[in-house]
Amino acid sequence: MIEAIDRGSGLIALRGVSRIHDGGAIAALRNVDLQIREGDCVAIVGASGSGKSSLVNILCGIDYPTSGHVIWQGRAIRRKKEWVQLRRLRIGIVFQEFNLIPTLTALENVELALLGRGMTAKHRYTRAGMVLGHVGLDHRPHHLVTRLSGGERQRVAIARAIVSEPKLLLADEPTGNLDSASAAKIADLLFDLREMTGMTLVLVTHDDTLAARCARQIRLRDGTVVEDTLRGLISATITSRSRT
Amino acid sequence: MNLVRLALRNLKRRPLRTFLSVLGIGLAVGSALTLTALSQSIQDGAREGIHEIGGDLIVMQKGASGIFGGFIPDRTLERVASVPGIVRLSGALVALASSGGGNVLTFGWPDASYLWKRVPLREGRLPAAGERHVAVLGDTAAVSLGRKLNDEFSVFGESFRVVGIAGYTSIVNRSLVLVPLVDLQEATYRPRQVTIAHVSVENARDSSELARIRQEIEGAGDVVAAAPDEVLDRDRNFTILEAVSLAVAIVAAAMSALYVLTALVLATQERTREIGIFAAIGWSNGRIMQSIVIEGILMCVIGCCLGVLLSFLAAYEFPHIPTIGIRIPFRPGAGLIAPVIAGAMVLCILCALLPAWRAVRMLPAEALRRM
Repeated sequence: MIEAIDRGSGLIALRGVSRIHDGGAIAALRNVDLQIREGDCVAIVGASGSGKSSLVNILCGIDYPTSGHVIWQGRAIRRKKEWVQLRRLRIGIVFQEFNLIPTLTALENVELALLGRGMTAKHRYTRAGMVLGHVGLDHRPHHLVTRLSGGERQRVAIARAIVSEPKLLLADEPTGNLDSASAAKIADLLFDLREMTGMTLVLVTHDDTLAARCARQIRLRDGTVVEDTLRGLISATITSRSRT
Repeated sequence: MNLVRLALRNLKRRPLRTFLSVLGIGLAVGSALTLTALSQSIQDGAREGIHEIGGDLIVMQKGASGIFGGFIPDRTLERVASVPGIVRLSGALVALASSGGGNVLTFGWPDASYLWKRVPLREGRLPAAGERHVAVLGDTAAVSLGRKLNDEFSVFGESFRVVGIAGYTSIVNRSLVLVPLVDLQEATYRPRQVTIAHVSVENARDSSELARIRQEIEGAGDVVAAAPDEVLDRDRNFTILEAVSLAVAIVAAAMSALYVLTALVLATQERTREIGIFAAIGWSNGRIMQSIVIEGILMCVIGCCLGVLLSFLAAYEFPHIPTIGIRIPFRPGAGLIAPVIAGAMVLCILCALLPAWRAVRMLPAEALRRM
């Protein structure tokens, strides 16, 4: 549903978003207001169960708020179809568990994200190969992803997320399943890609060092934004409040 | 990478399950094809047989269940014979007779019947006028009864001597036993009865003339006249055979659909997380459903090919079955394969839609949480 354009909402914004599970027993998010501008680099931090992943899921429309709404470039997104289109063209997601298709090769996993975009098979193949090159995997495109190391798998997942040249890249604990050396390389890759493309990066992490590399840090506790810091300063607007 | 290749990878991922599902579909489609082909072969053979024996019209008692039932009295036959345009008429008593532990289709014809003259003798001779307890066997009947010229065999407990072997071409007629009408009437305790009459008309190609003659025959008594092709349509035995083979074909096609349904329900349950991934990278519901349905279609296509092969194998092996096989050879034709496969495909697609629809109903975030 397209509503009146909210020009002050940046690239993506949450307005009074709550996410309740189990008939009210669990509140993953409580009345969250949040705005992310185009080109922002945002770290979402907080303890386990604070609602970080729920927030990311709602930001990319793979989960829906129980109340409130999400605004993309000034328009409230309510229909599933709109979310599908955004994820296909504008939003890339990187998961902690990689979430790759085990029966496919690295290249094929990346190609999957290009299906249904009216590209020829050859064009898809070339584009996927090129993006694998960007993430440093041009030497193993035809390996099954099950034969790749954790770091390599996460590179494939990143390639899949950026192959559509999204405006927004959401990374949910992208280094959480990696050893420290691989984690550092993946973090470097994400920040380098952001530098190169200018895309907006929202990074969910437990790692304070990693979070510190983002210009903005949002801290969640019990489903509520308790701190919104911009380069070490507490932002003027803590835009979330708990109703309870 | 495309949806077909993705589906093929998924099928290869669980080779045993895919093999068993495809085998199930193959067996179901194969049995449906075999049974319907067999039933069609029996009907076609019977039609050809009636044509080969001769006659432009077949007269039966009104309401008779088939060529074995009914009764046409002598007086009615005389009235039918007097209908203008009829040049020849021969009554016939048809019975399925027990002989040598099996059953043989036996025709009793009057000595003077014109039908005797149409018998394509391969060996021996026809029964002479007034000669009793003699028979002409179709070549397949001779083989299955294990009799040759001048051998004795029994029909309904009565002994008959083989005086001729006929070289009919139709499957049914090759298994016929032809005896004098009086002998068969005595053996079956049906004196002066015939079950059908073969009628030859002067101008059989004139449809309006044929229609007039049919009308007049039906006015001559409690009988109906039908073209040889129509006789089987009125035969209850063949109607039952057709219904049974259709029912078996439907059940078999439903079974193949069930195999697809089971395989895909299990596959989509196992791959819930993958379906969540597809949704997360921007696949529409339609595309996700397509990928699952294509998997079902692939299984069905492979299963149908296997089924067709199995039915041809059955057609090849069936004639080697003693007694029955040599009498009813069959071969599934394109006209039969196409509807059976089309039916199986439609059912398989419908059954693939259910798990596909279930898969896309789930929230992607919820699907991604599944192990």
